Order: sequence, then structure tokens, then C-alpha cells
Amino acid sequence: MSQLQATIFGALSGSLFAVMALGLSLVWGFLKIINLAHFGMILLGAYLTFELATTTGIDPIITVMIGAMAMFLFGAIVQAGFERWRVSEFNSLLISYGLLIITVQVVSNVWTADFQRMDSSVNPYAAQSLALGPLRFPLPTLIAAGFAVILVVAAKLILERTYSGRALQAFGQDRDIAGAFGIDHTKLGILLAGAAGATAAIGGMLHSLGESLHPDAPFEWVGRVFAIVILGGIGNVTGTLYAGLLVGGISGLTAAVWSPSASPFVVFSLVVLALVFRPTGLFPSKAGH
Amino acid sequence: MSDRGWIGLLLVAVGLAAVPALAAVFDFNSFYLVFLSGILFWTAQSTSWNILSGYSGYFSFGQGAFYGVGVYSMAVFFGRHGVDWLAATVIGGLLSMLLALAIGTIAFRLRSLRGEIFALLTLAVPFILAAVVRLSDTIDGGQGIIVPVPEYPDFLGSFQTFFFVASAVVGVLSLAVAFVMERTRYGWALFAIRDDEAVAEGLGVPTFKHKMISIAANGLIGGVSGAVLALNLGFVSVEGTFNLRVPLFVIVMSVLGGRNHWAGPMIGAIYIHTLQNRLADSGFDGWSLIVLGVILVLLVLLAPEGLMARFGRRPWAVGGVFASTLIGLGSWGGWGQPVDWLAVALGAAALVGFLPGRRGREMAGGRRAHHALEIFEGVPAPVEVGRPLVLADEAAKDFGGVHALRGVSVTISQGELVGLVGPNGSGKTTLVNLISGALPPTSGTLTLDGKDLVGMPQHRIAHLGIARTYQIPRPFHSLTVRDNVAIAIMFGRVPHGLEVAREAADEFLSLVGLHHLSDQLPGQVNLHERQLLEMARAMATRPVVLLLDEALAGLNPVEVDNAVAVVRRIHDSGVAIVFVEHVLRVVNQLATRIVVLDQGEVLAEGEPDIVMSDPAVIRAYLGKEGHARRQ
Amino acid sequence: MLDVSDVEVYYGDAQALWEVSVRVEAAEVVSIVGSNGAGKSTLVAAIMGILPIRRGRIVFDGDDITEMAGHRVCRCGVAIVPEGRRLFPGLTVGDNLDLGAFNVAARPHQAESLQRVFALFPRLAQRATQLAGSLSGGEQQMLAIGRALMARPRLLLMDEPSLGLAPVIVDEVFEVIEAVRDAGVSVLLVEQNVARALEISSRAYLLSEGRIVMEGNASELAANPEIRRAVLGV
Repeated sequence: MSQLQATIFGALSGSLFAVMALGLSLVWGFLKIINLAHFGMILLGAYLTFELATTTGIDPIITVMIGAMAMFLFGAIVQAGFERWRVSEFNSLLISYGLLIITVQVVSNVWTADFQRMDSSVNPYAAQSLALGPLRFPLPTLIAAGFAVILVVAAKLILERTYSGRALQAFGQDRDIAGAFGIDHTKLGILLAGAAGATAAIGGMLHSLGESLHPDAPFEWVGRVFAIVILGGIGNVTGTLYAGLLVGGISGLTAAVWSPSASPFVVFSLVVLALVFRPTGLFPSKAGH
Repeated sequence: MSDRGWIGLLLVAVGLAAVPALAAVFDFNSFYLVFLSGILFWTAQSTSWNILSGYSGYFSFGQGAFYGVGVYSMAVFFGRHGVDWLAATVIGGLLSMLLALAIGTIAFRLRSLRGEIFALLTLAVPFILAAVVRLSDTIDGGQGIIVPVPEYPDFLGSFQTFFFVASAVVGVLSLAVAFVMERTRYGWALFAIRDDEAVAEGLGVPTFKHKMISIAANGLIGGVSGAVLALNLGFVSVEGTFNLRVPLFVIVMSVLGGRNHWAGPMIGAIYIHTLQNRLADSGFDGWSLIVLGVILVLLVLLAPEGLMARFGRRPWAVGGVFASTLIGLGSWGGWGQPVDWLAVALGAAALVGFLPGRRGREMAGGRRAHHALEIFEGVPAPVEVGRPLVLADEAAKDFGGVHALRGVSVTISQGELVGLVGPNGSGKTTLVNLISGALPPTSGTLTLDGKDLVGMPQHRIAHLGIARTYQIPRPFHSLTVRDNVAIAIMFGRVPHGLEVAREAADEFLSLVGLHHLSDQLPGQVNLHERQLLEMARAMATRPVVLLLDEALAGLNPVEVDNAVAVVRRIHDSGVAIVFVEHVLRVVNQLATRIVVLDQGEVLAEGEPDIVMSDPAVIRAYLGKEGHARRQ
Repeated sequence: MLDVSDVEVYYGDAQALWEVSVRVEAAEVVSIVGSNGAGKSTLVAAIMGILPIRRGRIVFDGDDITEMAGHRVCRCGVAIVPEGRRLFPGLTVGDNLDLGAFNVAARPHQAESLQRVFALFPRLAQRATQLAGSLSGGEQQMLAIGRALMARPRLLLMDEPSLGLAPVIVDEVFEVIEAVRDAGVSVLLVEQNVARALEISSRAYLLSEGRIVMEGNASELAANPEIRRAVLGV
């Protein structure tokens, strides 16, 4: 694979992780909650896609509608719980970790710990690829990139053009005064957490299009997703996408030029540098927080 | 933290030492040695994590890095190159400690590195390390390394016994380090840092040095423990070593057991390891993570302070239930294995800890008693105004375009009681922050007795003799009133030990009239008493200049009079005082000189009567009238 | 219209207000003056529901709003212009104004309210797409007032509007306050600038160390030397 091919493929693959990171970043930035259960929702989204597509034969991409609704509920309920019991930022981390390991175990019990993969009759995308000029990329990766752009644009539009979206931004910038004007953080928070869950389900679906599934996968995602959240800026929507492309591109290039094992080294060294010199993220955002 | 702790530590050590002997005599299945070795490994890892994150509050996700360095040191030096296993262990510990110091140097030097960012930094480190290990053929190269069984002394009998002894030594060592730190100035510095780092630094605690000590201890023990474990693994690989299991489990164990106590992480390790072991063995393997997850969620919601805190309230009941359940099941023998009995006994003990009842010393809102005030009588003795102490020369401070102070020149001399007044936003608190060293000036100079204060670390400014209080009192919430004052003495110009400091604290508590509340926690005394505590603590640093920032906010008239009397007593003891105040009638009574700030500049200064009649000052306070208009 | 009776408010566990009683009628400007730390901003925060009230009652147009949750007070017709403006810095002028009408009572009239605010503050209309954080101090104060007016309040709580502003701008701000009153909205004005505040008010209260120590007709108070004694301590 040429270096250019490797870099671009890496960047496109990174966009899948950007989709995974988006919900986590938004909830962290606006609600000050680090929700590790987000990874559990991605996992469930992936397995639900697998299950629904395999049993009903419906196109896996379509099945995400059900998965997204289910994970919307999951995310909303968890957030409602955090609100109800006034959980602190630190404790939310621990509790969501508990929920994550419960989810992983449940998935393992239901679908076994073996690798699962959608049959090619069910998932026509895995085997196909598309040429962009002289370069050729697997279809699942391109689909993921497409979804990433759509989700980020949609999120940005919602945040900036809709009334509730701007209310959410206001809440993120000055909680008390936003409240003084009637912006009820509880309702908004639950909606946001639900939306984050839905994006997690989409991330899971995209993952299942191209990869085999196994219950321990969340622990492999954590590093890259956190790197993207940090580099993109916590709560920064477009930053998440750019960071995903950046992390993916760098990983791909490093793998081609040096070694695949070197990619984490480069990416996380970049994260350390970012934390020291630009803790708010590499990509500036207008938001005051 | 009573002195019964010594007994506890000794019991643990003796008990562990007895195990191999008992094993030989009663011919235990080696399973129990393996089981206990596991507990000891997790005890060492969790305890070392807790020394940093629990004691200092700097939350680390990077335990895997220290553990990994230890494991790979053993694998490379002993496994691959045949270096003596003991030497390899030491190397592993030292390398890990070096890594810890490197992380600390980067993370602790930067003021901008808040707790959250430190945690993220430590999350990234293991990933970098894993990549380096995998990349480098001299280390792993992706193949993994075989760790052969080491040579051990014959009298130990089996390898498992040897491994148990090694694990026990490391485990007890980690507990001993935590125990000793908790009872000496090192631990106390960390508790102060955890409760309020800025205040600690301002009282004279060298925060950077102590944070480095704690992370170094974390690294050293984590590395040694990892190295010893590698002897039992037989084969190490990057995936097996650098995963999220160690970093996450040490957090869960420490939180479960309690982060405030040296034995807390050990308790957590015992509980989690036993639970996991039983779940895996009982065929409920498909439930182990679920049960663990549910317990974690419940515990964080119901007992966020950990089990040790609960056990500490009724230790005899808990111990009794545990022992009797264990012995009872053991004698009956009709069900299960010893580890099963242990699990049930642990569960029973936990239940006892959760029974409603005596709530112990840490009460939240509750009893805010109104204690009798010791009102001081007497006429203030006039104090001579002496030589200049603090000199601010054209000190200015900008906050990104906002000129909080524009070139203020002020002199504070020995014996003065200077009132610093001015309307909202005039720069009073900024000036206090500049003099105390909390903020650097944008321009201008600040000196004490001729020594340049700009750029000096705050704890050294405190040692030179400048102390300050905060408008909203910032006591160390987890320490008693007496210990709050004792910290200032422990880390004063001349360092003192804990016991000496505690005795000396009484002098300052009497000065402000808080002696009768010495054993209370700050949360249990009212606002006025906490403000007096601020003053006592500041005085305990033996300052030459004391900066009081709105010490009267929120007080009723009786308390205000008492506070004024205390300030006079402090002044009589020879300390120059600068106090920021809004209650102008008090300022007029108390001050020898008034400095009026307005819009970041000195508007007027001099004797109270004269200054407060100055038309410019009156205008600044009451406002200029607008152009005439009809009513 | 607004009846604050014997209210006691604590800031943490420090008592900030003792038995404070204040009254505001329709279409009048009432001032609360006093030095810093006297409790003026605490009173405003308590009325808006940002701080809890331990004792006493607050009744607004017949509704008891003492216990009401912060985000519901606005619905009843009380809006705040906070000390230091506290605009949403990352949002535009237009967004800040739109969000002022977030509460359910004001939302149906959002477009109409916006027109009225732009008529009152033509400069804001010019800067509608600019970020709120990039405006000058005076413009920010106008925006803060405009945002509060978007909530269609019958009572406006203004906390230190003259803070940090040049005298000429302060003139403009106070003209706006009078215009607001003339339009039928009552104003409870908290101000450090005693002279100005008394000029445009009908009645005033002097708050000192958490208690009301003087009250009455604004013109009478302005002529009273006791005011100087109370504020300056001499």
C-alpha cells in the first residue's frame, strides 16, 4: 500500500472512531460527565445490528434505526439516574465503568465470547470496495466516513441553528444564568445523553459492517477514542471529526512508514504534547467554555 | 487514625509470616498460597496507587505503566538475560520510579494541569509505553518473553511458597510505606494538598516536592510488585501486560476499600479478589462481571467513602461478625471450601458496616452548634510603627485586557494596621494576591525586607513571613481544627514533627479563642469560628505581615466585635496587618492608616477620619450625580 | 406587585440577609443601595431562585415564588440583568436575545419582542451576528438588558448596571432604565452608585450588613446626610 493510500485509508478509518467519540465528547463537555458506559452502548449497537440483520435479513444499515432508538433510551435513562442521585463527576466515572463491565458480560453471555461476523449474504458491504481515483478503499470504511460527516454536520446544525441546541450551548457557557432564563438543564441533559446513545449505536453499526465482533472490543476502543476527544477538544463537535481524521491519518502513515506498532506511540505522544501545551484541544472553537 | 494501627499492621505481617509455616504443617493445598499471593499483589498495586491518588487527590489512570515497567524489567533482565531475579526486581522498581518522576516533572510543574488533565495524561502514558515495548526488539518486539522459574532457597519447599513469601514481602512493604506516610509529615502534606493545594502552598507546604515523593512511591512499589508477579506469569506479552485491567481494578479496589486509610486498598483487594475467585470457580463465570459491576455501582452510590470508613465506626462489631462467621462455617464444615467461608464472612462484615446507626465524626450539614465565644476584654496597647516591611512599587496586574491594578505603590511598615478599602472591582483582592505571591504582577516590584518576592514560590514567601486568610474560609476539611493549625507549624520556617506541632497549635487556638473546639472538624463549626481558624492557621506560620481578606463577611454584630478584638490581639503580638474590609465603621475603628483603591489605583491614603472625608473618596463610594434632570 | 417579606438568606452557612422586606409596585423604579458585601446581589439571586430562602416569603403578583425552582421564576414575569452582564460569550447577539425568550410564556411572542428590543437598541440590530463576547462594555450592558426584556417581564431585576462603564455610557444605560419604566415594566435596581440610583427611582432602600437600615422616598433620602454616614462609616 502506498503511503498516500495508507494515510487516507487511516484517516477514513479514523472517522469511524470520530463517530464513537462524538457522543462521549458532547456529554463530557456539556454535562461534565465522563460516561464509560458509552462504550457499552457502542458494543450493544454493534451486536444489535448483527442480530437484527442476521435474523431478519434486513440491510444492516437500516437496522440501526432500532439500535439507535434502543440506545437513546439507554443513554437517557442513565443520565436521568445521574441527575436523580446527583452523582459527581468522579463518581460518574466509576458508576459508568460498572455499567460498562455489566454490559460486556451480558453481551458475552448472550452472544458468546467467540468472534461473530455477519454473513456476506446479510452484509453485502464488507466484501466490496470503491475506487476514488487511483486509490481503492473498502466500502464499510467509506460508509463510516460518510456517516461521520453527516453526523457532525447534523450535530453542528442542531447546536447552532435550533433553539434547543443554542439553549444547550448557553447552558454549557453559564449554567446559572441559563437557568434564570428558563433553560432547564435536567430535560436538556437527558435529551443530549439520549442523542449521544443514538450516535453510539450508529458507531457500533458502522463497526459491525467491517469487523468481527467480540465482547472485549470496548477496551480496545478506549485509547483511540479518548485520544480523539482530547485532541479535538472536549465538547467540540467539528474538532472531534478533525481529530478523528488526524489520529487515523497519522496512524496510517506511521504504520506504512515505520511500523503498525509505532502508531500508538506517535498518537499518544501527540496527546501528551496537546495536554501540556493546548489542553483545550488542537482545534479552536467559539464556545466560551 | 488511632494508634491501634500499629497493631493492625503487625497482625497482618505476623499472620502472613505464619501462613507458610501453617501450610507446611497442615498440608494446605497450594491453591491457598496462590489465592493469598493474588490478594497480596493487588494490595501492593492498589496501595501504591492510593499513595498518589487517594492521599493527594491527583487521580491517575496510569498504574498500568508502572506495573508494566516492572513486569518487563523482570522479563528482559531475568527472563532473557539471566540477571539475578532479585537484582531484576530492584531494577524494575528503579526504572518505574524514574518514569514516575518524569511524569511528575512534566505534570506537576505546569500550573495549568488541573486534576482532570493529569488523569488524561496518565491515561496516555501506558499506551506510549506499550507501543515502545512492542516496537523495540531489545525489549519485546511483539513476540513476548518467557520468564523461567527462578532459583529459590530450598527450605521454602515449593515455588508457590517462594512466590507467596516474595509477594508477602512486597505487600507488607507497600502497607508499611502507606502506614508511615499517613502518620508523618509526608502524608499530612498530601492530605492538605488534596483538600486545598493553593492554601497548603500558601501556608508553607512545599507542594511540588511532596507530590513528587508520592508519585515516586507509587512508581517504585508498582514496579517492584509487577516484577515479582512476572515470576509467576511464565510468559509476558504486550497485550497481557498493558491492558486496562490493572489501572481500572486498582481504582475500584481503592474506592471500595477507602482512600483515606492505609488499609483501605487492602480491604478492597481482599473483597474483589475473593469475589472474583468465587464467581469464577462456582460456574457462575458468566455472572462475575455483572456482579462486580452491580456492586461497584451500589457502593459508589451508597458508600462513596469506602468500606474502611464504615468499618472504622464499629470495628469490634465488624471484626466479631467476620470472625464468628468464618469460624462458624469452618467448624460446621457442611458447605463449601475455606475461600467460600471467607467470601460469606466478608459479606457479613460488609452488611454490619452498612447497618444504620452511629454516624461517626464526618457529619455533613447537621450539628452546627453555637458555641460560647470567648470575648476578649482590654484596651489595646499602642504599638510603635517601625521599619518598612512590604514595599509594592508600581505593581500592576492585567487579566487579558482588564487592568485590575494600574501601578499601585504602597508600603506596609512594622506595627501598622492598614485598612485596604475601595468600591467593587477596585483591585483590593488582586493586591492581596500579588503580595502573598498567589499571582505574579504584570509589572512593578514587590519586596519584603528588601527581598524580591516576584517569581518566588509561594511556600517560600510564606516562610519569609507573609500569610493571608481567605474571604470565604478554606480550611482543610478532612483535618480537625487543631490539625489545620498543626499543618502550618509542621511546614513552617522551621520544620516540626506532628506531635510537637499539635502541642504548639494550642497556643494559636487560644489566641483566637478556639481552644475548646480543637477536635472538631471544620464542617462542624460555624462560619465565624472557621474565620477564626483561618486567622489561627495563618498566625501559626509566624508571619511578620498578615493579610486578612474580608474576615468579617457574613457575621452578626456580636461576632464582628469579637473578630475585631481578635485582630487587635494579633496586632498586639507584633504582627503588621493589612485587612480588606467593606464594613467601614469597623475599618475606621481599627485602622492606623487607610488606603483607598479605586479602579486599580490608589485614590487616597492616610488617617481614617481625614481619608473618609476626602471629596474624591466620597464620590467614589456614593457616585457622581448625572446631569440634572426634572423629577 | 413584588412583595419580599422578612426574608433570610444564607450563603453556604453564612447568613447574608436578616429580615429583609422590600416592595415594588407597578411601573416604578425602586433602588437598593449600599456598600459592597451588604447583600444586594444576594437579594437579587434569592428573588430569582438562584439562592434558597431559609425564612420569609416572596410574593409576585399573587404567586408565592419563595420555593420556586430557578428556571421557573422567569416564566412568572421576573427577569434578571445580572451583575457583570453574564452574557453567553460564545453565542451571537441575536442568539443571546433569542434565548432570553426561552421560557414558555415569552416564546410565542419572540419575534415581536425582538423587534421592540431592536427599536430600543438600534446598535444591537447592527451587531446581531457578532459574538456577544466581542462587544464593548456599554453594548454588552445593552444586550444584557435586551435579553432580559425578551423574557417579557413585568419586573426587571438589574444588578449593578453601571459597574465598569464610563460615565457617558452610564447616562445611556440610565436613560434606558427610564424608558423601560415608562413602558410599564417595574425595575428593582441594585446599585453602588447611590446618587444616580436615587435620581431615577421613586423609592429606595439602604442595605447595610444584610439589613435594611433606611427606606423611603428617593428624593428625601438623597437629601439625607445619614446616607453618607451609613455608607462611609464617618
